[in-house]
Amino acid sequence: MTSSQLVKMRLELRRGVLVLAVLGLLKQPHYGYSLRKQLQQGGIDIDEGTLYPLVRRLADQGLLESEWRQAEGRERRYYQLSLLGAELLSQLTDEWQQLNGALAFLLEQSADTNSADINSSDKSSDISAEEV
Amino acid sequence: MELVDRYIAAVQRELPENKRQEIGRELKANICDQLDALSEQGKLTEAQTAEVLKTMGHPRKVAQQFSPSAPIVAIEDIPLLKHTLFMVLGVLFVLQVVGGTMQWLGTAESSLVGFLHYIAAGFIEDASFAFTAIVLSFWLVSMQGKTVSGRHCQKWQPQNLPKVGPAWEHISLSDVFTDLATYLFLLLVIWSSVWMSNEQLSTPTVMFSANAQQLLQWFTPIIVLSVFNSLWQLRRRVWAVELLVANIGINVAYALFLLVLAFSSPILQSTNEGVQSIATLAMLDKGLSYCLIIAALFPSYESVRDILRCRKLAK
Repeated sequence: MTSSQLVKMRLELRRGVLVLAVLGLLKQPHYGYSLRKQLQQGGIDIDEGTLYPLVRRLADQGLLESEWRQAEGRERRYYQLSLLGAELLSQLTDEWQQLNGALAFLLEQSADTNSADINSSDKSSDISAEEV
Repeated sequence: MELVDRYIAAVQRELPENKRQEIGRELKANICDQLDALSEQGKLTEAQTAEVLKTMGHPRKVAQQFSPSAPIVAIEDIPLLKHTLFMVLGVLFVLQVVGGTMQWLGTAESSLVGFLHYIAAGFIEDASFAFTAIVLSFWLVSMQGKTVSGRHCQKWQPQNLPKVGPAWEHISLSDVFTDLATYLFLLLVIWSSVWMSNEQLSTPTVMFSANAQQLLQWFTPIIVLSVFNSLWQLRRRVWAVELLVANIGINVAYALFLLVLAFSSPILQSTNEGVQSIATLAMLDKGLSYCLIIAALFPSYESVRDILRCRKLAK
Protein backbone atom coordinates (compact mmCIF):
# COMPACT_ATOMS: atom_id res chain seq x y z
CA MET A 1 0.00 0.00 0.00
CA THR A 2 1.35 3.45 -0.94
CA SER A 3 1.54 6.23 1.65
CA SER A 4 -1.08 8.27 -0.23
CA GLN A 5 -3.50 5.31 -0.01
CA LEU A 6 -2.81 5.04 3.70
CA VAL A 7 -3.43 8.76 4.21
CA LYS A 8 -6.70 8.56 2.24
CA MET A 9 -7.96 5.53 4.15
CA ARG A 10 -6.95 6.99 7.50
CA LEU A 11 -8.92 10.12 6.64
CA GLU A 12 -11.98 8.04 5.72
CA LEU A 13 -11.66 6.05 8.92
CA ARG A 14 -11.32 9.16 11.08
CA ARG A 15 -14.05 11.21 9.40
CA GLY A 16 -17.01 9.51 11.09
CA VAL A 17 -15.23 9.10 14.42
CA LEU A 18 -14.38 12.79 14.47
CA VAL A 19 -18.05 13.79 14.46
CA LEU A 20 -18.62 11.55 17.47
CA ALA A 21 -15.61 12.98 19.31
CA VAL A 22 -16.67 16.59 18.62
CA LEU A 23 -20.27 15.95 19.69
CA GLY A 24 -18.99 14.17 22.82
CA LEU A 25 -16.75 17.08 23.82
CA LEU A 26 -19.43 19.67 23.19
CA LYS A 27 -21.52 18.49 26.11
CA GLN A 28 -19.58 21.39 27.65
CA PRO A 29 -19.40 24.73 25.82
CA HIS A 30 -16.23 25.25 23.81
CA TYR A 31 -14.95 27.75 21.28
CA GLY A 32 -13.02 26.57 18.23
CA TYR A 33 -9.48 26.74 19.59
CA SER A 34 -10.35 25.23 23.01
CA LEU A 35 -12.18 22.39 21.29
CA ARG A 36 -9.12 21.65 19.20
CA LYS A 37 -6.87 21.67 22.27
CA GLN A 38 -9.24 19.28 24.07
CA LEU A 39 -9.21 16.92 21.10
CA GLN A 40 -5.41 17.03 20.95
CA GLN A 41 -5.17 16.25 24.66
CA GLY A 42 -7.52 13.32 24.07
CA GLY A 43 -5.17 11.98 21.38
CA ILE A 44 -7.07 13.17 18.31
CA ASP A 45 -4.95 15.57 16.29
CA ILE A 46 -7.02 17.49 13.80
CA ASP A 47 -6.10 20.47 11.68
CA GLU A 48 -8.01 23.73 11.98
CA GLY A 49 -9.09 23.67 8.36
CA THR A 50 -11.07 20.50 9.06
CA LEU A 51 -12.35 21.14 12.57
CA TYR A 52 -13.83 24.63 12.24
CA PRO A 53 -15.90 23.90 9.11
CA LEU A 54 -17.04 20.60 10.68
CA VAL A 55 -18.31 22.41 13.78
CA ARG A 56 -20.17 24.89 11.61
CA ARG A 57 -21.76 22.10 9.54
CA LEU A 58 -22.95 20.39 12.74
CA ALA A 59 -24.39 23.71 13.94
CA ASP A 60 -26.13 24.23 10.56
CA GLN A 61 -27.73 20.79 11.01
CA GLY A 62 -29.16 21.90 14.35
CA LEU A 63 -26.98 19.55 16.41
CA LEU A 64 -25.14 22.42 18.11
CA GLU A 65 -26.19 25.70 19.60
CA SER A 66 -23.85 28.67 19.47
CA GLU A 67 -23.45 32.13 20.96
CA TRP A 68 -20.88 34.91 20.77
CA ARG A 69 -19.29 35.80 24.11
CA GLN A 70 -16.79 38.47 25.09
CA ALA A 71 -13.77 37.02 26.90
CA GLU A 72 -10.24 38.35 27.49
CA GLY A 73 -11.03 41.44 25.50
CA ARG A 74 -12.04 39.49 22.39
CA GLU A 75 -15.15 37.82 21.09
CA ARG A 76 -15.43 34.07 20.73
CA ARG A 77 -18.13 31.82 19.41
CA TYR A 78 -19.03 29.11 21.88
CA TYR A 79 -20.67 25.90 20.77
CA GLN A 80 -22.65 23.40 22.83
CA LEU A 81 -24.82 20.37 22.10
CA SER A 82 -28.46 21.12 21.34
CA LEU A 83 -31.26 18.78 22.45
CA LEU A 84 -31.27 17.18 19.02
CA GLY A 85 -27.48 16.86 19.17
CA ALA A 86 -27.63 15.22 22.61
CA GLU A 87 -30.20 12.71 21.36
CA LEU A 88 -28.10 11.91 18.31
CA LEU A 89 -24.94 11.62 20.40
CA SER A 90 -26.57 9.02 22.62
CA GLN A 91 -27.64 6.95 19.59
CA LEU A 92 -24.26 7.33 17.90
CA THR A 93 -22.45 6.32 21.11
CA ASP A 94 -24.46 3.07 21.26
CA GLU A 95 -23.76 2.46 17.60
CA TRP A 96 -20.04 3.14 18.09
CA GLN A 97 -19.77 0.80 21.07
CA GLN A 98 -21.52 -1.97 19.18
CA LEU A 99 -19.32 -1.45 16.14
CA ASN A 100 -16.17 -1.19 18.22
CA GLY A 101 -16.98 -4.45 20.03
CA ALA A 102 -17.71 -6.25 16.77
CA LEU A 103 -14.56 -4.90 15.14
CA ALA A 104 -12.37 -5.82 18.11
CA PHE A 105 -13.71 -9.37 17.95
CA LEU A 106 -13.23 -9.61 14.17
CA LEU A 107 -9.71 -8.20 14.26
CA GLU A 108 -8.75 -10.49 17.15
CA GLN A 109 -10.14 -13.49 15.29
CA SER A 110 -8.31 -12.65 12.06
CA ALA A 111 -5.08 -12.13 14.07
CA ASP A 112 -5.53 -15.64 15.61
CA THR A 113 -6.16 -17.18 12.17
CA ASN A 114 -3.07 -15.47 10.75
CA SER A 115 -0.82 -16.70 13.56
CA ALA A 116 -2.28 -20.22 13.18
CA ASP A 117 -1.55 -20.12 9.44
CA ILE A 118 2.00 -18.95 10.08
CA ASN A 119 2.56 -21.74 12.62
CA SER A 120 1.18 -24.43 10.29
CA SER A 121 3.27 -23.17 7.37
CA ASP A 122 6.35 -23.16 9.64
CA LYS A 123 5.62 -26.78 10.64
CA SER A 124 5.09 -27.92 7.06
CA SER A 125 8.33 -26.25 5.98
CA ASP A 126 10.10 -28.01 8.88
CA ILE A 127 8.66 -31.36 7.74
CA SER A 128 9.66 -30.83 4.13
CA ALA A 129 13.14 -29.81 5.28
CA GLU A 130 13.40 -33.02 7.30
CA GLU A 131 12.17 -35.09 4.31
CA VAL A 132 14.84 -33.53 2.15
CA MET B 1 -2.57 41.48 12.16
CA GLU B 2 -2.59 42.88 8.65
CA LEU B 3 -1.71 39.43 7.32
CA VAL B 4 -4.67 37.92 9.17
CA ASP B 5 -7.03 40.54 7.75
CA ARG B 6 -5.73 39.89 4.26
CA TYR B 7 -6.19 36.16 4.77
CA ILE B 8 -9.77 36.57 6.08
CA ALA B 9 -10.62 38.86 3.15
CA ALA B 10 -9.21 36.29 0.71
CA VAL B 11 -11.35 33.54 2.27
CA GLN B 12 -14.43 35.79 2.24
CA ARG B 13 -13.99 36.51 -1.45
CA GLU B 14 -14.42 32.78 -2.17
CA LEU B 15 -17.58 32.49 -0.05
CA PRO B 16 -21.20 33.11 -1.01
CA GLU B 17 -22.38 36.64 -0.18
CA ASN B 18 -24.71 35.60 2.66
CA LYS B 19 -21.98 33.67 4.53
CA ARG B 20 -19.03 36.04 4.22
CA GLN B 21 -19.61 38.13 7.32
CA GLU B 22 -20.39 35.27 9.69
CA ILE B 23 -17.62 32.90 8.59
CA GLY B 24 -15.05 35.71 8.39
CA ARG B 25 -15.86 36.76 11.96
CA GLU B 26 -15.58 33.22 13.30
CA LEU B 27 -12.43 32.43 11.37
CA LYS B 28 -10.77 35.56 12.66
CA ALA B 29 -11.67 34.67 16.28
CA ASN B 30 -10.18 31.19 15.83
CA ILE B 31 -6.98 32.47 14.23
CA CYS B 32 -6.56 35.11 16.93
CA ASP B 33 -6.86 32.39 19.60
CA GLN B 34 -4.03 30.46 17.94
CA LEU B 35 -1.87 33.58 17.65
CA ASP B 36 -2.57 34.41 21.32
CA ALA B 37 -1.40 30.95 22.32
CA LEU B 38 1.81 31.47 20.33
CA SER B 39 2.42 34.94 21.74
CA GLU B 40 2.34 33.48 25.25
CA GLN B 41 5.64 31.77 24.37
CA GLY B 42 7.28 35.04 23.29
CA LYS B 43 6.90 37.96 20.90
CA LEU B 44 4.90 36.99 17.84
CA THR B 45 6.72 37.52 14.55
CA GLU B 46 5.21 37.98 11.12
CA ALA B 47 6.82 34.73 10.02
CA GLN B 48 4.99 32.86 12.80
CA THR B 49 1.68 34.46 11.79
CA ALA B 50 2.33 33.48 8.19
CA GLU B 51 3.10 29.92 9.32
CA VAL B 52 -0.21 29.71 11.23
CA LEU B 53 -2.11 30.95 8.19
CA LYS B 54 -0.25 28.54 5.94
CA THR B 55 -1.24 25.67 8.25
CA MET B 56 -4.88 26.78 7.99
CA GLY B 57 -4.70 26.16 4.25
CA HIS B 58 -5.17 28.13 1.02
CA PRO B 59 -8.05 30.63 1.33
CA ARG B 60 -9.95 28.91 -1.50
CA LYS B 61 -9.59 25.50 0.17
CA VAL B 62 -10.71 26.88 3.54
CA ALA B 63 -13.70 28.61 1.93
CA GLN B 64 -14.58 25.36 0.15
CA GLN B 65 -14.47 23.50 3.49
CA PHE B 66 -16.69 26.05 5.18
CA SER B 67 -19.15 26.20 2.33
CA PRO B 68 -18.76 23.14 0.09
CA SER B 69 -20.18 23.69 -3.40
CA ALA B 70 -22.83 21.19 -4.41
CA PRO B 71 -22.07 19.16 -7.57
CA ILE B 72 -23.93 20.29 -10.70
CA VAL B 73 -25.42 16.84 -11.09
CA ALA B 74 -26.16 14.36 -8.28
CA ILE B 75 -23.56 11.55 -8.17
CA GLU B 76 -26.37 8.94 -8.54
CA ASP B 77 -27.42 10.57 -11.82
CA ILE B 78 -23.99 10.55 -13.49
CA PRO B 79 -24.40 7.14 -15.23
CA LEU B 80 -27.87 8.14 -16.49
CA LEU B 81 -26.52 11.50 -17.64
CA LYS B 82 -23.75 9.78 -19.60
CA HIS B 83 -26.22 7.34 -21.14
CA THR B 84 -28.64 10.13 -22.12
CA LEU B 85 -25.86 12.19 -23.63
CA PHE B 86 -24.63 9.22 -25.64
CA MET B 87 -28.12 8.41 -26.94
CA VAL B 88 -29.01 12.01 -27.85
CA LEU B 89 -25.63 12.74 -29.42
CA GLY B 90 -25.93 9.46 -31.36
CA VAL B 91 -29.32 10.47 -32.77
CA LEU B 92 -27.97 13.94 -33.62
CA PHE B 93 -25.06 12.33 -35.46
CA VAL B 94 -27.45 10.19 -37.51
CA LEU B 95 -29.60 13.23 -38.35
CA GLN B 96 -26.49 15.19 -39.30
CA VAL B 97 -25.37 12.41 -41.63
CA VAL B 98 -28.82 12.45 -43.25
CA GLY B 99 -28.73 16.24 -43.64
CA GLY B 100 -25.13 16.15 -44.83
CA THR B 101 -25.90 13.49 -47.42
CA MET B 102 -28.82 15.45 -48.84
CA GLN B 103 -26.68 18.58 -48.98
CA TRP B 104 -23.80 16.68 -50.57
CA LEU B 105 -25.92 15.07 -53.25
CA GLY B 106 -27.75 18.30 -53.96
CA THR B 107 -24.73 20.46 -54.69
CA ALA B 108 -22.74 20.66 -57.86
CA GLU B 109 -19.33 20.35 -56.21
CA SER B 110 -19.97 17.08 -54.32
CA SER B 111 -16.65 17.36 -52.52
CA LEU B 112 -15.99 14.69 -49.89
CA VAL B 113 -14.13 17.20 -47.71
CA GLY B 114 -17.12 19.54 -47.91
CA PHE B 115 -19.42 16.69 -46.92
CA LEU B 116 -17.29 15.78 -43.88
CA HIS B 117 -16.96 19.46 -42.93
CA TYR B 118 -20.74 19.93 -43.11
CA ILE B 119 -21.31 16.90 -40.85
CA ALA B 120 -18.60 17.88 -38.34
CA ALA B 121 -19.62 21.55 -38.10
CA GLY B 122 -23.34 20.79 -37.85
CA PHE B 123 -22.79 18.02 -35.31
CA ILE B 124 -20.61 20.20 -33.07
CA GLU B 125 -23.23 22.97 -33.17
CA ASP B 126 -26.16 20.65 -32.37
CA ALA B 127 -24.17 18.62 -29.83
CA SER B 128 -23.16 21.78 -27.91
CA PHE B 129 -26.79 22.84 -27.63
CA ALA B 130 -27.97 19.33 -26.66
CA PHE B 131 -25.16 18.89 -24.13
CA THR B 132 -26.01 22.19 -22.43
CA ALA B 133 -29.75 21.48 -22.41
CA ILE B 134 -29.36 17.98 -20.96
CA VAL B 135 -26.85 18.99 -18.26
CA LEU B 136 -29.04 21.98 -17.31
CA SER B 137 -32.10 19.69 -16.98
CA PHE B 138 -30.19 17.34 -14.69
CA TRP B 139 -28.90 20.34 -12.75
CA LEU B 140 -32.42 21.70 -12.21
CA VAL B 141 -33.54 18.33 -10.81
CA SER B 142 -30.47 18.15 -8.54
CA MET B 143 -31.16 21.69 -7.30
CA GLN B 144 -34.47 20.49 -5.90
CA GLY B 145 -32.69 17.76 -3.95
CA LYS B 146 -34.09 15.02 -6.20
CA THR B 147 -32.45 12.56 -8.58
CA VAL B 148 -33.57 11.70 -12.11
CA SER B 149 -32.67 8.04 -11.70
CA GLY B 150 -34.28 7.78 -8.25
CA ARG B 151 -37.71 6.60 -9.41
CA HIS B 152 -36.25 4.19 -11.98
CA CYS B 153 -33.94 2.65 -9.36
CA GLN B 154 -36.87 2.00 -7.03
CA LYS B 155 -38.98 0.21 -9.67
CA TRP B 156 -36.46 -2.38 -10.87
CA GLN B 157 -36.97 -6.13 -10.51
CA PRO B 158 -34.08 -8.63 -10.24
CA GLN B 159 -36.00 -10.97 -12.59
CA ASN B 160 -35.75 -8.39 -15.40
CA LEU B 161 -31.95 -8.31 -15.32
CA PRO B 162 -30.19 -9.90 -18.32
CA LYS B 163 -28.52 -13.28 -17.80
CA VAL B 164 -24.82 -13.43 -17.01
CA GLY B 165 -22.81 -13.70 -20.21
CA PRO B 166 -19.59 -12.72 -21.95
CA ALA B 167 -18.80 -9.06 -22.71
CA TRP B 168 -19.79 -9.34 -26.40
CA GLU B 169 -23.43 -10.02 -25.42
CA HIS B 170 -23.83 -6.35 -24.59
CA ILE B 171 -24.75 -4.40 -27.75
CA SER B 172 -22.62 -1.30 -28.11
CA LEU B 173 -24.54 1.95 -28.65
CA SER B 174 -21.86 3.32 -30.95
CA ASP B 175 -22.23 0.26 -33.23
CA VAL B 176 -25.99 0.72 -33.44
CA PHE B 177 -25.75 4.43 -34.26
CA THR B 178 -23.01 3.85 -36.83
CA ASP B 179 -25.20 1.22 -38.52
CA LEU B 180 -28.25 3.50 -38.49
CA ALA B 181 -26.26 6.37 -40.02
CA THR B 182 -24.95 4.03 -42.76
CA TYR B 183 -28.44 2.69 -43.61
CA LEU B 184 -29.99 6.14 -43.83
CA PHE B 185 -27.08 7.34 -45.95
CA LEU B 186 -27.64 4.42 -48.36
CA LEU B 187 -31.38 5.07 -48.57
CA LEU B 188 -30.81 8.72 -49.41
CA VAL B 189 -28.25 7.89 -52.09
CA ILE B 190 -30.42 5.18 -53.67
CA TRP B 191 -33.59 7.29 -53.70
CA SER B 192 -31.91 10.58 -54.59
CA SER B 193 -34.08 10.72 -57.75
CA VAL B 194 -37.19 11.01 -55.54
CA TRP B 195 -36.15 13.88 -53.33
CA MET B 196 -33.79 15.80 -55.64
CA SER B 197 -35.04 18.46 -58.06
CA ASN B 198 -34.55 18.07 -61.82
CA GLU B 199 -31.97 20.83 -61.71
CA GLN B 200 -30.00 19.01 -59.03
CA LEU B 201 -30.31 15.68 -60.89
CA SER B 202 -28.84 17.19 -64.03
CA THR B 203 -25.77 18.36 -62.08
CA PRO B 204 -23.91 15.12 -61.23
CA THR B 205 -21.33 14.12 -63.77
CA VAL B 206 -21.10 10.45 -62.74
CA MET B 207 -24.09 8.46 -61.49
CA PHE B 208 -25.26 4.86 -61.14
CA SER B 209 -26.13 3.05 -64.35
CA ALA B 210 -29.79 2.10 -64.91
CA ASN B 211 -28.98 -1.53 -64.10
CA ALA B 212 -27.16 -0.68 -60.84
CA GLN B 213 -29.86 1.81 -59.87
CA GLN B 214 -32.52 -0.88 -60.32
CA LEU B 215 -30.52 -3.38 -58.23
CA LEU B 216 -30.11 -0.78 -55.47
CA GLN B 217 -33.82 0.00 -55.44
CA TRP B 218 -34.68 -3.71 -55.22
CA PHE B 219 -32.44 -3.90 -52.19
CA THR B 220 -34.33 -1.11 -50.38
CA PRO B 221 -36.60 -3.46 -48.34
CA ILE B 222 -33.49 -5.10 -46.83
CA ILE B 223 -32.10 -1.69 -45.84
CA VAL B 224 -35.44 -0.76 -44.24
CA LEU B 225 -35.37 -4.11 -42.39
CA SER B 226 -31.82 -3.25 -41.24
CA VAL B 227 -33.10 0.02 -39.77
CA PHE B 228 -35.77 -1.86 -37.81
CA ASN B 229 -33.19 -4.43 -36.75
CA SER B 230 -30.96 -1.66 -35.39
CA LEU B 231 -33.90 -0.13 -33.51
CA TRP B 232 -34.64 -3.59 -32.09
CA GLN B 233 -31.01 -3.86 -30.95
CA LEU B 234 -31.26 -0.42 -29.40
CA ARG B 235 -34.28 -1.55 -27.40
CA ARG B 236 -32.84 -4.88 -26.27
CA ARG B 237 -29.18 -3.90 -25.79
CA VAL B 238 -28.23 -7.56 -25.21
CA TRP B 239 -27.67 -10.13 -27.97
CA ALA B 240 -30.22 -12.95 -28.03
CA VAL B 241 -30.53 -15.85 -30.51
CA GLU B 242 -33.40 -14.21 -32.43
CA LEU B 243 -31.46 -10.93 -32.73
CA LEU B 244 -28.37 -12.78 -33.95
CA VAL B 245 -30.39 -14.76 -36.50
CA ALA B 246 -31.90 -11.52 -37.84
CA ASN B 247 -28.43 -9.98 -37.98
CA ILE B 248 -27.00 -13.01 -39.81
CA GLY B 249 -29.83 -12.86 -42.39
CA ILE B 250 -29.29 -9.16 -43.00
CA ASN B 251 -25.50 -9.43 -43.23
CA VAL B 252 -25.69 -12.38 -45.65
CA ALA B 253 -28.11 -10.35 -47.79
CA TYR B 254 -25.71 -7.38 -47.75
CA ALA B 255 -22.70 -9.51 -48.64
CA LEU B 256 -24.53 -11.17 -51.57
CA PHE B 257 -25.94 -7.89 -52.79
CA LEU B 258 -22.55 -6.15 -52.73
CA LEU B 259 -21.01 -9.03 -54.70
CA VAL B 260 -23.83 -9.01 -57.26
CA LEU B 261 -23.48 -5.24 -57.62
CA ALA B 262 -19.69 -5.56 -57.94
CA PHE B 263 -20.06 -7.93 -60.91
CA SER B 264 -22.94 -6.14 -62.63
CA SER B 265 -20.78 -3.95 -64.80
CA PRO B 266 -21.28 -1.18 -65.73
CA ILE B 267 -22.12 0.21 -62.33
CA LEU B 268 -21.57 3.84 -63.30
CA GLN B 269 -22.52 6.06 -66.20
CA SER B 270 -21.53 9.60 -67.07
CA THR B 271 -23.60 12.56 -68.25
CA ASN B 272 -20.64 14.85 -68.65
CA GLU B 273 -18.50 15.04 -71.75
CA GLY B 274 -15.34 15.53 -69.68
CA VAL B 275 -15.70 12.23 -67.91
CA GLN B 276 -17.07 10.28 -70.86
CA SER B 277 -13.63 9.13 -71.81
CA ILE B 278 -14.02 5.32 -71.82
CA ALA B 279 -10.73 4.77 -69.97
CA THR B 280 -11.70 7.11 -67.08
CA LEU B 281 -15.19 5.73 -66.59
CA ALA B 282 -13.96 2.13 -66.92
CA MET B 283 -11.30 2.82 -64.31
CA LEU B 284 -13.85 4.30 -61.95
CA ASP B 285 -16.15 1.34 -62.55
CA LYS B 286 -13.37 -1.17 -61.90
CA GLY B 287 -12.26 0.66 -58.77
CA LEU B 288 -15.81 0.67 -57.44
CA SER B 289 -16.14 -3.07 -58.16
CA TYR B 290 -13.04 -3.78 -56.08
CA CYS B 291 -14.34 -1.53 -53.31
CA LEU B 292 -17.67 -3.38 -53.30
CA ILE B 293 -15.91 -6.75 -53.08
CA ILE B 294 -13.85 -5.51 -50.13
CA ALA B 295 -17.00 -4.02 -48.54
CA ALA B 296 -18.72 -7.41 -48.90
CA LEU B 297 -16.07 -8.91 -46.61
CA PHE B 298 -17.38 -6.93 -43.63
CA PRO B 299 -20.95 -8.30 -43.56
CA SER B 300 -19.49 -11.75 -44.39
CA TYR B 301 -17.22 -11.54 -41.35
CA GLU B 302 -20.13 -10.39 -39.18
CA SER B 303 -22.27 -13.29 -40.44
CA VAL B 304 -19.60 -15.85 -39.49
CA ARG B 305 -19.05 -14.11 -36.14
CA ASP B 306 -22.79 -14.12 -35.39
CA ILE B 307 -23.17 -17.79 -36.38
CA LEU B 308 -20.46 -18.67 -33.83
CA ARG B 309 -22.09 -16.46 -31.21
CA CYS B 310 -25.46 -18.01 -31.96
CA ARG B 311 -24.00 -21.48 -31.35
CA LYS B 312 -22.52 -20.33 -28.05
CA LEU B 313 -25.85 -18.86 -26.94
CA ALA B 314 -27.79 -21.96 -28.05
CA LYS B 315 -25.53 -24.15 -25.85
